[in-house]
Amino acid sequence: MASKTQASRAMTGKAVTRAPRDTAHEGFLNHKRGRWAKVAITLSVVALGAYLLTDPVPRHNGGTWLGYLLGSIGAGMIVWLSLLGVRKRVIGPKPFSLKGWTSAHVYLGLSLIVVGTLHTGFQLGWNVHTLAWALMMIVILSGLWGISLYATLPERLSANRGEVTQLQMLEAIRTLDRQLDIAAQPLDAEDAALVRMSLEECRIAGSLGQRLSGNYANDGNARALATIIEKVMTGRRTGRVDDRLEQIEFLLERKEAALAQARRHIRMKTQLELWLYVHVPVTIALLAALLAHIISVFLYW
Amino acid sequence: MSFIVRQVAKRADGGDIIRTRTLVQAELTVGRGTDCDIQLADLAVMLRHARLVQITAGKVSVETTGGVPVEVGGKFVTRADLAVAENPTIDIGPFRLSLSPGEDGAVAITAERVVPSIEAADAAHETSIFSLSGAMPTKRRMAWVGGLAVLVLLLLVPLFHFIGEGEPALPQTMVAEAARPVTPGQGFGDGKLSVPTARPAAAGGFAPDESWSSGTLSDAHASLSNNCSACHQKAFVSVTDGACQACHTASALPDHAAPARMAKGRLPDGGVMGAAHSAFNLPQGRCTSCHKEHEGAATVMTVAESFCTDCHGGLKSRLADTAVANVPGWAKHPDFRATLVSSPSADKPVFTRTALAGAREKSGLIYPHDIHQSTTNAVANMAQKQRLPQGADGALPCSYCHKADSDQVRFKPIDMEANCSACHDLAFARDGGTVRTLPHGKPAQVAGIIRDFTLSESFAPRAGVQRLSFDRHLPGKAPPPLPGGNPAARAQAAVVSVFTGKGLCTECHVVTDTGAADLTRRFAIAPVSINDHYLPQGQFPHGKHKSYDAKTGQAACVACHTGVTKSKVSTDVNIPGVANCRECHGAPAKTLLSTTAKAGASCDTCHGFHDGVAPAGALPAGHVQPARVAGRQAAGRSRQTPA
Repeated sequence: MASKTQASRAMTGKAVTRAPRDTAHEGFLNHKRGRWAKVAITLSVVALGAYLLTDPVPRHNGGTWLGYLLGSIGAGMIVWLSLLGVRKRVIGPKPFSLKGWTSAHVYLGLSLIVVGTLHTGFQLGWNVHTLAWALMMIVILSGLWGISLYATLPERLSANRGEVTQLQMLEAIRTLDRQLDIAAQPLDAEDAALVRMSLEECRIAGSLGQRLSGNYANDGNARALATIIEKVMTGRRTGRVDDRLEQIEFLLERKEAALAQARRHIRMKTQLELWLYVHVPVTIALLAALLAHIISVFLYW
Repeated sequence: MSFIVRQVAKRADGGDIIRTRTLVQAELTVGRGTDCDIQLADLAVMLRHARLVQITAGKVSVETTGGVPVEVGGKFVTRADLAVAENPTIDIGPFRLSLSPGEDGAVAITAERVVPSIEAADAAHETSIFSLSGAMPTKRRMAWVGGLAVLVLLLLVPLFHFIGEGEPALPQTMVAEAARPVTPGQGFGDGKLSVPTARPAAAGGFAPDESWSSGTLSDAHASLSNNCSACHQKAFVSVTDGACQACHTASALPDHAAPARMAKGRLPDGGVMGAAHSAFNLPQGRCTSCHKEHEGAATVMTVAESFCTDCHGGLKSRLADTAVANVPGWAKHPDFRATLVSSPSADKPVFTRTALAGAREKSGLIYPHDIHQSTTNAVANMAQKQRLPQGADGALPCSYCHKADSDQVRFKPIDMEANCSACHDLAFARDGGTVRTLPHGKPAQVAGIIRDFTLSESFAPRAGVQRLSFDRHLPGKAPPPLPGGNPAARAQAAVVSVFTGKGLCTECHVVTDTGAADLTRRFAIAPVSINDHYLPQGQFPHGKHKSYDAKTGQAACVACHTGVTKSKVSTDVNIPGVANCRECHGAPAKTLLSTTAKAGASCDTCHGFHDGVAPAGALPAGHVQPARVAGRQAAGRSRQTPA
């Protein structure tokens, strides 16, 4: 009797026996045990085999039967791959999960290196056709770059941030600014100007180059701090320590430390984002070049 | 020992919320942590920032616990003792703790934020600071700019150029060169016809649609590089033969065979490829089916051997009446069928294609190669005496008669005066200091000269005039006296002896006595047609074969033309068979590591697609054009040989 109950419960699949589920997170890279990686490898190997086993005269290029075939496959893949941007904006139940779609996007995108390059037959030149190939390679390689960043950066990003949010990072800096402002009130004009430099000429993020290099030596706070340290050191040597300046130095150092943390955060976030600033616009340019490539090939047949 | 803690928070509308707690303890913890007695929610505050200890009544010490100092009376300190009566303040981050004496000796502490939170202001900046949108144009804008730039520059601009372009002007020099009839087999030997350096692009500069070019044009067509519509005449229509033939006229590049027969003989274009070709309007047999442009400097002439064997491998099954044997490939190339003189004629010789085995040729000439190749006989003696060139073995070299033509492909025609007359001098008398000779090829003149000479000797003999013997075997011996009683009979006998006697005409020619009354018309010389192209469907550049099997000179000639030194009659055909060619062409190199053939074996090594049905067009300088090749003309433009 008991077994019967159990069986019926198992059949209904409710409450007692939960559906088996992987508790560990499965990322898009090993979605369904790398199903799309296998598809992509198969596609690449077949394409390469066909390329090596045929011997067109005078040479391999996009105009042989294999060239047209690889070109058609490649063009279809490019269009489908670019539709990830559309798919991810459509939220709701779909026959294909976004994770699966992303997995296919990544692996099929990588196999496009083989398909697209064999389509060219390594016949490259200064023309719209090679432009399309070059843009395709830029898109794929930037995607590869993005994946490698996604694999390594978030951990470091999290470690750098501690439990602090972005807004809290800004708040800390602003608070120090306020404290600096208050602390600077009794200072003479020269020293006050240094504090103002920190307050007014400090850019947390700055230009793209600064964000990537992390070099903010010319930023207002860094310059103000350097000068103040010098002044304090001079004061110490001469035995005339100005408490107010030491207080400013302390605040500037704290601000510099807060800035450094925020800037490390910004640098990693910039890296995480920058590849998409290549990947996405170049994809659109690639679609345009692909259109020009296909139209021109058939127009000047 | 107690503290009264009043924490002041700002309401959204600006009002204060004051929460008051009484803590009965001697010590308070201050920090951001939720376990602290006074919780100060700000990042500038450490989790456990400081500790307040009531030392005595009215006296409190503050001590930092997180390493970050606090501000007391304008100074940053890590420890301070404060008198509560003085209402001291402690600044921790944006907060200020104001101490004052409370009821019952308690210490009242008011904690409030003195530096206002700027969360709201920073929220607006958060995105621009922490995301790239603050440092770069948006992805969407970049996508628009990049995409439109590509579309405009590489699609629309070239497209408008194509639409706006009028009738293309072809470079005149190119047109003239292309229209010049190409000598059959011009580029044979290396299998390539190519222009060694790229012609400069025509005037007009860069054309926008050049950006559509899929690759470098061949050197020959390089001046069309900025003139796409010279070939790409109609949109979405593959380059037509008409575009090619605008320059390469039919007379310059004759048909391979009649188009209808070509279509019938071609391998049917079936299956997926056939469907694709038909769907995309790519009929077979166009110029561009074989010749691929935009493939680099010298490649427009590169055609796969398979293009030939596609049709010729099984031609007979599709074109039942063809005379051309199936050739599935070089290894199965049928043996040559030489084109031989079957009926010599002064003006209309007839040539017949015949299998090499047992083939005989009727040139009409009497010429034994063997005695002319001897090192010891009278011919050799004569050649030495005449100081003619000697081969390595002392015999007359082949090249004495067979002189290479200007292309070093074949040989200048055999010419009696140039090749024979050093020995066969046609001298008939010594007249004082003059050796009298007869004109070659003019039998009526010869008869007249001999008749008149004999008559004049009969009527008015002169001193110092001596008839010469024609018999080369008896040099210096006086000829026998002429028979006949009267001068006319003697003259006739003299003429008869010239035409029928040993040593003169009959040495090389068949002479027929027609019995005509007119002495100058009585003897007819059989016509002679000396073949100068035994395998006219192909090309054999002799100049490239001067050494063979480590032999050079005459030995190299005889290495292929093996029977020639023993050939006693001119009907022998000393043309080597295809097996002879295969010893090098297509044969693997004899080195251990190399597998490449010793010599090329593609069809176009010997054959030209565009040579026309019969070798039309001008032959190299000096060659006699065969007037007719038997069978070919009869069957029109198709290759036919009588059964």
